[in-house]
Amino acid sequence: MNELQVLILGLLLGGVYALMASGLTLLFGVMRVVNLAHAAFIVVGAYGAYFAFELLGLDPFVALGLIMPAFFLLGMGLYRLLFPRIEGSPRFGEMTVLMTFGLALIIEGLLAFYFTGIFRSVDPPYATQAFILGPVFVPRAQLYASLTSVVLLMGLWAFLRMTRTGYAIRATMQNRVAAQVVGVNVRRISTVSFGIGMALAGAAGTLVSFIFTFFPARHWQWIAILLALIVLGGMGSLKGAVVGAVVLAVASSFVSDRIGPTWAPMTFFAALFVTLMVRPRGLFGKEIDR
Amino acid sequence: MLLDIQNVEAGYGSAPPVLRGLSLQVEDNRSYCVIGPNGAGKSTLLKTIVGILRPRRGTIRFQGESIEGLRPDEILQKGICFVPQDRSLFPEMTVQENLRMGGFLIRDRRLLRERLDRVYELFPILRDRTNQVAGTLSGGQQQMLALARTLMIEPKLLCVDEPSLGLAPGIVDQVFETLTEFRKQGMTVLLVEQNAVRGLSWADWGFVLDLGALRFEGPADGILENPQIRELYLGRLAARGEE
Repeated sequence: MNELQVLILGLLLGGVYALMASGLTLLFGVMRVVNLAHAAFIVVGAYGAYFAFELLGLDPFVALGLIMPAFFLLGMGLYRLLFPRIEGSPRFGEMTVLMTFGLALIIEGLLAFYFTGIFRSVDPPYATQAFILGPVFVPRAQLYASLTSVVLLMGLWAFLRMTRTGYAIRATMQNRVAAQVVGVNVRRISTVSFGIGMALAGAAGTLVSFIFTFFPARHWQWIAILLALIVLGGMGSLKGAVVGAVVLAVASSFVSDRIGPTWAPMTFFAALFVTLMVRPRGLFGKEIDR
Repeated sequence: MLLDIQNVEAGYGSAPPVLRGLSLQVEDNRSYCVIGPNGAGKSTLLKTIVGILRPRRGTIRFQGESIEGLRPDEILQKGICFVPQDRSLFPEMTVQENLRMGGFLIRDRRLLRERLDRVYELFPILRDRTNQVAGTLSGGQQQMLALARTLMIEPKLLCVDEPSLGLAPGIVDQVFETLTEFRKQGMTVLLVEQNAVRGLSWADWGFVLDLGALRFEGPADGILENPQIRELYLGRLAARGEE
């Protein structure tokens, strides 16, 4: 393939990865929690879109409008159910890793039990169509998914910049104690952030449902990729997640094209190792305070 | 009585308590300085008052109302404000955004605007830097911003943790002048200060903390002249402060 074509496919992929990573990095920024179940929730979102399409005949872009609010509420409920138990613990960081890892296993187990391990994907008419623009083709599904990601991320950005709750979330990300000092109810903000993170996971799941195939264990591969790109971008930085996603998606497209598709996932892990060796805080990350 | 602390025990995580049955009282419209050696529990005391730490035992009453166990935002709402040692600004927000965050609890936009204008009147240096990102201010400017930010909610009691830490002597003078100004506005100030001589010569009343309990209290100038306390607690600190 020519360079332009590879670049376009990489950029389209990057847009979707950015959305997949945004919830993960937001949660880390606000709560210092690495949610290892994030990709598992993306898979749940994909199943949601699958059944909305198969059973109700809803296009994924319609299902998006149902899945996001449902995931938002689910996220707030889960936070209230799980986190108060470990909040005061001196080992909070380690506990959250174990807890979200356990959550990922439970979700995978339940999905496999009820829906089996069959490879699935949603198949709307545009899933296999492409726009031909001179020498390059642009797959419609990827284009729509990527554009939707951009719109959602811009919405998230505007929300964080312009609303009172958005200010409180950014304040908590920048300095948790300072946020408490000025009267931000940090637990409420954490709950809302968890809801937003989940809504983003649900949205990402809906979009990947028609551009990738998925099955219950697919989340292991995704969480590995997502962790690599938010480490590159800087944990807790939304800008970093977007830049990391686009850079690595384009890089992996080139690796896939020039060296071979089996090597594409290596791009992410190579980037992870290099980042941790050269600049552990990533491109836009802050030094992690203890 | 403004603040009444009785037998408070508090600490971090599962570690042994730092405050061990501490009791003290704060009256309206006075200024207080808390001194004591490292690890005496001075910062822990302030964090416990403002609700960042929950006391394990004991009671804290503010204007007769029990406040122990409330969230920091609820305690702030009652009129107790805190300036931590690290100044706790939002480094990526501008001076103006930091001040507005200081008034986070104020939902009335007009009131917020009025308070902001008043802060700029009292701190013209902040007005000049209104769009500068807080993380790029000098240490002294950051401290001024942290103090100015508390004016956004006009607290009755202001708890300040080592405001002079790491600042040049000239800037420290400015910080104390600002605190004096706050006093004139009717705020009660509870100051924790490592520079005991400086803090006590500014305050009306002094508390001496050691090993998580109140060892002595009295008029601030009396403490400075008390030979026993000088020897036990002021020793090197006093010598350094007088240099």
